[in-house]
Amino acid sequence: MRYLLLSLADENTPAPDEKLFAEMGAFIEEMSAKGVLLATGGLEPGGLRMTSSGEEFTVTDGPFTEAKEVAVGFALVEVRSRDEVLELARRFRRIVGDGVSEIRRVQ
Amino acid sequence: MIDAVWRLESAKIIAALTRLVGDVGLAEEFAQDALVAAMEQWPAEGMPGTPGAWLMSVARRRAIDHIRAERRHDLTHGRLAHDLRQGDTTGEDDRDDTLRLMFLSCHPVLPPPARVALTLKLLGGLTNAEIARAFLTGEQVIARRIADAKRTLAEHRVGFDLPGPAEAAERLASVLEVVYLIFNEGYAAASGDDLMRPGLTLEALRLGGMLAEAAPQSEVLGLLALMEIQTSRADARTGPSGEPIPLHEQNRGRWDRLRVRRGFAAMLRARELGGPPGPYLLQAAIAVCHAQAPSAEETDWDQIVSLYELLVRLTPTPVVRLNRAVAVGMARGPRAGLDLTEDLTADPALRDYHLLPAVRADLLLRLGRTEAARREFLRAAALADNAAERAFLERRAAAIPAAEPTGALLGPAVAAFLAGRPGATARSYGQTLGRLRAALGEHTPVAELTPAETARVAAAAWGGTAARTWNRHLAALRSFCAWAGRPDLAADLVRRPEPSPEARPAPVWRDTDAALRERALWWLLHESAAPVTRVLALNVEDLDLDDRRSRTGITWRSRTAALLPDLIGDRTHGPLFLSGRRPAPARAPAEGDLCPHTGRRRLSYERAEHLFKTATGHTLSALRLT
Repeated sequence: MRYLLLSLADENTPAPDEKLFAEMGAFIEEMSAKGVLLATGGLEPGGLRMTSSGEEFTVTDGPFTEAKEVAVGFALVEVRSRDEVLELARRFRRIVGDGVSEIRRVQ
Repeated sequence: MIDAVWRLESAKIIAALTRLVGDVGLAEEFAQDALVAAMEQWPAEGMPGTPGAWLMSVARRRAIDHIRAERRHDLTHGRLAHDLRQGDTTGEDDRDDTLRLMFLSCHPVLPPPARVALTLKLLGGLTNAEIARAFLTGEQVIARRIADAKRTLAEHRVGFDLPGPAEAAERLASVLEVVYLIFNEGYAAASGDDLMRPGLTLEALRLGGMLAEAAPQSEVLGLLALMEIQTSRADARTGPSGEPIPLHEQNRGRWDRLRVRRGFAAMLRARELGGPPGPYLLQAAIAVCHAQAPSAEETDWDQIVSLYELLVRLTPTPVVRLNRAVAVGMARGPRAGLDLTEDLTADPALRDYHLLPAVRADLLLRLGRTEAARREFLRAAALADNAAERAFLERRAAAIPAAEPTGALLGPAVAAFLAGRPGATARSYGQTLGRLRAALGEHTPVAELTPAETARVAAAAWGGTAARTWNRHLAALRSFCAWAGRPDLAADLVRRPEPSPEARPAPVWRDTDAALRERALWWLLHESAAPVTRVLALNVEDLDLDDRRSRTGITWRSRTAALLPDLIGDRTHGPLFLSGRRPAPARAPAEGDLCPHTGRRRLSYERAEHLFKTATGHTLSALRLT
């Protein structure tokens, strides 16, 4: 089963430091080699937003002030069970520190 | 949650412990101890920050306690404590240990099913119950298989060291084979199966990943690439009702591009290593060709054919040759492909393989030989195990309008022929002609058969058998062909000279003055070449004295035939060979082993062996001819 993990951040989230980068690099390498981590990446904080209404398409530039927490990174994983994805998320959060991850099964 | 941690960490823990204690069975016990401790402590005290390290340190403590206790008992054994002080191992040690554990689990002294079970258990962290579910067997079976495997490893004193260069290639090949076996077991699982079965593909991918990390060699990466690309087609390869969709008809939009990309990446790493490509790398390269083609028509079939040419040279198995025929059929036209399948139709290994007639049917259809194609589809359907696949092949056959039948069809003709024979003959001939029906198809008109086809079937089915067996099948074929008005069909088949009884080595008991029962048994064993247990299992009512054969398929010749009437006497039922005494009341044998006439029991193997040994000094197996 596949899950998408989104890590969320708000204005209080500290910027990543060298140590975090090193630990995260090792973690990503380990999980990729195991075949667990299929894809991962960081996301720009703002981005674009497109709204459609009938024939009308509107594009807005970020950042979007109404959103308190925004997704700053994602990981697509292939796991054996729900427990396993939770364990992975736990390891990930141990490295990045306080904050929130959203975990969604890919259907 | 503990389970998930265990699954992710167990390989590393068991590998490190095996290095410490030198015995994989003990290592697993200590690791299990740690797991039990975790199940006791974590729910109450909360999960530790680094659960893997926690499990490892508990297990190590158990192992070290064990070693200390052992050393106190036996100081002279002086096992060095060099590992005991060592703290956390480095990543490199972990990888090395994992590789050692894989080599151990896949050791050639173990039978392949044991290698698979042990690998899934020790490296995949699966429970016995999960392995049993995945292989559609009982938990007890797996438990016993694993226990036996550990004992075998201990008995053979299989060390935890990495194999030397001379042995390394063979040992690695065994690991690759086990991983691919696990993969295929999962890949072959139908959609309705227990999810544990398809889950095996994921286990195999993880094992492949672990192996590629520990031993990044070109064949390892080739296998990984092959598995990734095959997995990418998992969703596209079956239709809504479970029928298989051939590669060239699959909706390529449903191929999992992430998996394809991982396959390509592994392939690139393999290519960078250089060296001559092995079988896995070649298969992966073929898979890459398919994955790169935007559509079936745009596939680089010439490239695929040349890869198959290389593969056939390394592994000339019938299945590889069949796949090459498919590729050639695409690259150079159906005629060339069909020509390559002709040889294969004479290969005994493929005689029940439904994909051979299925491939031929496709090629025949493209050549416009619709009636022949229809019959091959029907034959393929009759051989297919999987219901969805059978239905699919039947539909393909039904889509071709049947030609007006020209005269009798093979299936009904054989049935009519057998119906006119006496029982024993019909049974014996039925075996021979059943093979002919299966190989040439029920619906093939007898008038269209060719002598070459019958010769091919006979060679594939019985070419390797003893002269007597060959001649028996030949007699059945001739009889049928003559009856069907096609004596020419069997004309190319030649009887083989049978070794005359005189030419055989003189039986070792010839000069002994043994009792009638002994002489009858020994001659029967000698003339029938049947297993001792089957001969002892004969009952009087099974025998056809005129035909010199039993209902259980044992045949004999003149010497036995001369002795049997006296041995049987007035008996009509019960064991043919009886022991000398009546059994004591307390030790009554099963009813079938008791003679209704004399109340004696069936002669036992042990007793028969003893009598022969006393008389001749040989064991009974010396009687069997090969």
